[in-house]
Amino acid sequence: MIELENISKVYRTKTIETLALDNMNLSVSQGEFLSIMGPSGCGKSTLLNIMGLIDEPTQGRIEIAGQNILNYNGKKIAKFRNEKLGFIFQSFHLINDLSVIDNVELPLLYRRMGSKERRRLAEEALVQVGLKNRMKHFPGQLSGGQKQRVAIARAIVGQPEIILADEPTGNLDSVMGNEIMEILLRLNKESKTTIVMVTHDENMARKTNRLIRLFDGNQVH
Amino acid sequence: MLKNYFKIALKVMMRKKFFSFISLFGISFTLMILMILTAFLNTELGNNAPMSKKDKMVFIDQLSLLYMRPDTTMVLDSTYVGEILEVDTSYTYDKEQTSRSSSSPSLHFLEKHMKDIKAADNYSFYSNGHSYDVFLNNNKLTLEGCYTDANFWEIFDFQFIEGNAFVKQQLDNQEPIAVITERAAIEYFGRARQVLGEEIELDRKIYKVSGLVKTPTSGQMFLDSDVYIPYTNMHPKALSETHFLSNFHAVYLGSSPSKTPLIKSEIEKTASFIKMPNPERYNELEIYALSFVEDYAHDIVDHDEVAQSKRIFAGTLIGLLALFFLLPILNLINVNISRIMERSSEIGVRKAFGADAKDILFQFVFENILLTIIGGMIGFLLAFVLLYLINSSQVLPDTILAFDYKVFLYSIAICLLFGVLSGLLPAYRMSKIHIVNALKQNIYG
Repeated sequence: MIELENISKVYRTKTIETLALDNMNLSVSQGEFLSIMGPSGCGKSTLLNIMGLIDEPTQGRIEIAGQNILNYNGKKIAKFRNEKLGFIFQSFHLINDLSVIDNVELPLLYRRMGSKERRRLAEEALVQVGLKNRMKHFPGQLSGGQKQRVAIARAIVGQPEIILADEPTGNLDSVMGNEIMEILLRLNKESKTTIVMVTHDENMARKTNRLIRLFDGNQVH
Repeated sequence: MLKNYFKIALKVMMRKKFFSFISLFGISFTLMILMILTAFLNTELGNNAPMSKKDKMVFIDQLSLLYMRPDTTMVLDSTYVGEILEVDTSYTYDKEQTSRSSSSPSLHFLEKHMKDIKAADNYSFYSNGHSYDVFLNNNKLTLEGCYTDANFWEIFDFQFIEGNAFVKQQLDNQEPIAVITERAAIEYFGRARQVLGEEIELDRKIYKVSGLVKTPTSGQMFLDSDVYIPYTNMHPKALSETHFLSNFHAVYLGSSPSKTPLIKSEIEKTASFIKMPNPERYNELEIYALSFVEDYAHDIVDHDEVAQSKRIFAGTLIGLLALFFLLPILNLINVNISRIMERSSEIGVRKAFGADAKDILFQFVFENILLTIIGGMIGFLLAFVLLYLINSSQVLPDTILAFDYKVFLYSIAICLLFGVLSGLLPAYRMSKIHIVNALKQNIYG
C-alpha cells in the first residue's frame, strides 16, 4: 500500500544540517495497522508527514496505492490527499469556529458533492465514533477524548484507504486513550483501512499488527 | 462549500470583534465620505436647476485693464579679432506691465462689445448680487438683489411657483417688477405663496412681485440673489456709465458642450479688437471667458492663471479621492494580514484534508468580499443618515445634497475590488505556506 524507498530527510538551516531520516525503506501493506515508536526527535513524525504527503523527502521514492506521488503537482497531490488519506493529530487541530458536524464535513468540501450528501456522510462518521448527539456543539464544548473522536470522524468521513495518526492518544488520559485506540482498531478490522500510527505508548503499539522502532533516523529492530 | 465559508467568516467576524469593527468602520466610513463628497460635487457641478445647462455655458466674470510699455533690452557682445575689439549690439523688444486693474465688466462694456458672439445661441447680462437692508415692522432684513435682462430667464431655468419671468418688452419699458425666491417671500411677506402683485421695497424703490421661484438648491456661487429686477431699473447714473469695469457678468449658452471652446475663443478674439478708450492710462485688455468648471475652480482656488486653478482644483479632488480610497485599503491589508495569519492552523488542516492553494485563496478572498459587502451596507445607511442631517440642518446653506445611487454602486464596486486586493496578498502568502509549518502554527518556518 505504501512503499518508501531510500527516503532521506535533511533539515537545513544556515549553520546546521540535521539528518531526520537516513535512507529509510519501509513497506506497509493494505489493511495493516503499523505503529512507529522511538524517542523524541528520532524522525517518527517526519516519516509520517512524508507518508502523508504533507512534507517532502530530500531524496527517495514514495509509492502510495501504486502511484508514484513525488511527480505530482500541488493540485494533484491535494486531490490525492483528499481521496486517499486521513489525518489524526495529537493536538486534534479542529477548527474552533466551526461546529462538530462542519468540522467533520471539511474534507468533503473539496470534493464535488452536494451538501445533503456531505451532511449524511458526516453524520454517519459521527455515529461511528459515538458522537452523533454532539453534532451541533463546538469543539470548545467537548472533552479531549471527544475532540479526538471528532478528529477521527473527520479523518474517516471521506473513506480514505490510509489513516495517518500522529500520537492520537498523546494528549489523553489512559481511559480516553483506550477508547480512541478501540475505535482505530475497529476501523482497521471492519473497514480494512490501513493505519500508520506514531506513538510513545508501548501498550497501544502492542495492540497493532506491527511495530517498528526508529532511532536517529534509522529503523532498528 | 460557500455556506461553510460563510459560516466561518461570520464566526470569525463575531469572535474578532475589534478587528471586524476596524475593518467595517474603514469600509463604511470610506463609502460614506465618498457618497457625501460625490453628492456635494454632483450638486455643485452637476446639471441641476437653475443651471441645468451649465455644461454649455461660458461666463465672463472678470476683465483686466493693463498698461504695457515697450521695454527694450540692449545686449553688447564683444570679441577680439586679432588686435581689434569688435562689438556686436543686439536689441530685444518686449513689453512690460506697469499697471493693472481688474474687476467684473460693466454693462456698458458688455452691451457695446460682447453682444455679438456668433458661436453662442443665447446670452444674458446680469449684475452681481447686492445686499439691501430692508426695514420691515422694525426688523432689519437683508435681501440680495440682482439686476438682469430678459434672456436671463431663458438661460437659467428657475422653477416658477407663481407668475412669470419678465420679458424684453417689460425690460425696455423699465417696469418696476421683481421675481423673488420663496425664501425672500417667507422673509418679507411671511408666507411662501400668493405673493403676486405684492409690493417689495428695495433701496427706496417699490417693485411689484411678478414671479415667485423656488430657492435654488445648487449653484449658489453663481446665483445667490433673492430678488431679480429688470436692469433698466438701475440708477440712471449706473446705466449711463461708460467705464469698462463695474459689476456685471455675462453668460453665453452654446447649443452643445462642445461649442464652449468656440465661444471662449470668439470672446477672446473679439476682445483683442477692442479699441481702448484712453490708451494713455490702459492700453491693453485681458478678458477671462471661462466654462462653468473653470469658473468654479477659479473661484475656489483663485490662482492668477485660470488653467492653473483648474489643475489645482482637479488635483486636489483626485488627491482627496485617492486618499479616501488608499486609507481603507492599507488598513484592510493590515487587518487582513493579522486576521489570516492567526488562522494558520486552520489553513494547515484544510490543506492536509485536500484543499489546494486556490481553495485557500478563494476562501479568504470570499471572506473579505463578505466583509466589504456588510461594510458597504453600513456605509449606505450612514451616508443616507448623514445626507439627511446635512440637508435638514442646513450646514451648507440652501444646498440640498442628493443621494446618487450610481455613485454608490461604483463605490461598492471599488470597495469590492479593494476587498479582493487587500485579501489577495495575505491569502496568497498563506496559501503557499507549508502544511507542517502551518499546523505547528509556526508560519515563519
